[in-house]
Amino acid sequence: MKPEMPTKAEKTAGAGNAVKILRIVLGAAGAALIGYGLLGLPTQLGPPQLLGLLVWMAVAVLLHDGVIVPVSTVAGGGLTRLGSGLRPASAAVLRGALMTGVVVTVIAGILLKAQSVARNTSALEGDYAAHLLWFWVVLAGLAAVLAYGIERTGPGRGEREQKTRP
Amino acid sequence: MEKLTNALAARFASPTRSTRLTVVLGRWLGLSFTICFLTGLFSHGLQEPPSWMFFPTSPVWIYQLTQGIHVTTGIAAIPLLLAKLWSVYPELLKWPPVKSVAHGLERASIALFIASSLLQLTTGLINTYKWYPWPFPFRQTHYWLAWVIWGSLLLHIAVKLPLIIEHWRTRSGTAAGASAPVTDDGGAPQEPGRWSRRAFLAAVGVTTGAVVLTTAGQSFSWLDPFNLFAPRKMGTGPQAVPVNRTAADAKVADLAGAKDWTLTVSYQDTNRSLSLAELLALPQYEHELPIACVEGWSQTAIWRGVRIRDLVAFVGAPPSSSLRVTSLEPEGAYRTMDMPATYAQDERTLVALELNGQTLDLDHGYPARIIAPGRPGVLQTKWLNTVEVL
Repeated sequence: MKPEMPTKAEKTAGAGNAVKILRIVLGAAGAALIGYGLLGLPTQLGPPQLLGLLVWMAVAVLLHDGVIVPVSTVAGGGLTRLGSGLRPASAAVLRGALMTGVVVTVIAGILLKAQSVARNTSALEGDYAAHLLWFWVVLAGLAAVLAYGIERTGPGRGEREQKTRP
Repeated sequence: MEKLTNALAARFASPTRSTRLTVVLGRWLGLSFTICFLTGLFSHGLQEPPSWMFFPTSPVWIYQLTQGIHVTTGIAAIPLLLAKLWSVYPELLKWPPVKSVAHGLERASIALFIASSLLQLTTGLINTYKWYPWPFPFRQTHYWLAWVIWGSLLLHIAVKLPLIIEHWRTRSGTAAGASAPVTDDGGAPQEPGRWSRRAFLAAVGVTTGAVVLTTAGQSFSWLDPFNLFAPRKMGTGPQAVPVNRTAADAKVADLAGAKDWTLTVSYQDTNRSLSLAELLALPQYEHELPIACVEGWSQTAIWRGVRIRDLVAFVGAPPSSSLRVTSLEPEGAYRTMDMPATYAQDERTLVALELNGQTLDLDHGYPARIIAPGRPGVLQTKWLNTVEVL
């Protein structure tokens, strides 16, 4: 006897059920792990430490949502105006270089601050300020060469970029 | 209020944002968090082993690898997290903030997810600098928050799964959740000066690559030439090996330098005290082993000394014994270290007396220290005082 093939609607319903089950399993497992972590914290942290943790978490969110994103949005607006006269690819190179430079600078900035207060003499021995300066020199040089090359030889303004997978 | 949030949302609007962008960034970030969680659990299990814990001693660089990956992936997650949060920032400005009980719970879980992720990556990075400006213990907080974060990740995937599936692959047409038309050409925006989704993703990839390239040299020797911003550099420190806790920090200089120093090895009623000369008179073995710290840095070196299993036999204890090792340090969380039998039996586990062909430097644990394959650096006890066979 020839087996009956499932119809498209049956296949869709089956996939829908699988997704539903997966969501329930993931959701339940996630909630359980969150509960495990939250219940574990007070077993090793006292009330003042938990309060300190909450304050640090709140400050982290406020710094991110209230400072980092607004500042990057303002910077992005400036770059949009600056890049509007450039080809899309070279404008993207400048934006990307600035993104890389700023993130590396933030990380190096924390490193420099740690170096200024460090008690351990066996760590943080590099000349990080000089390294940061060299990093920016190389980054700016690479970005300038790339943007110049694109402006000279790349596709025209307003033309679509080449297809590439993310 | 709604007008205000709408005005703010318009101010922060960007055609680069789309659900597809968020899904791609979410995949990268989810993978990073999962790698950090699993390698972190392995490290935690080695330091505070549950009864079922396994202790791999081969390859000898296993902990060097897993902890190097843990710290490097954590650093890589910083730009990924910033980009992911940027991609969903307008969600913060939606009004009303809570539409139902279920929606309120989802927003609360996301707030917890974001706050703990930001804190975890920031404090994790600063911890590698040996700087602790916060009012809570790092290790315990890092451990419990890891469960909260990975649980939040699973819950977030459960809530967003239909959107994730819908946008897993690039589609033609307008993407749901996009603030501008998104096409299959890489989400190229219409406005001049803006960048496409793929250009943004490429920039995030380059940024992530840059932070990895300039820091991972502390963990992986082949990246050492590019190590610009890591707190440790391979080949530095006394005897070309970095030091985490110096003899001065541990306040052991006088005790460790005493001429009458002995190492006491005990098993039940048997106690044997060995001077440095007596230890040197025992058969010496040499092994190339990495010392790998929980903060991610590592350094492979040549260690020479007495096999710990020979000392176990010396006091007539069975070879499958576990040990309790005590340092001369007067205080500190790692003054006493328990060594499971797996390490005590391994022929490469040494009471090291020499490092890279020279007598151990005081900061490396003179007159004698433990070096075992595949263990966290904090358990490679320095300035030995006693070895008790349990």
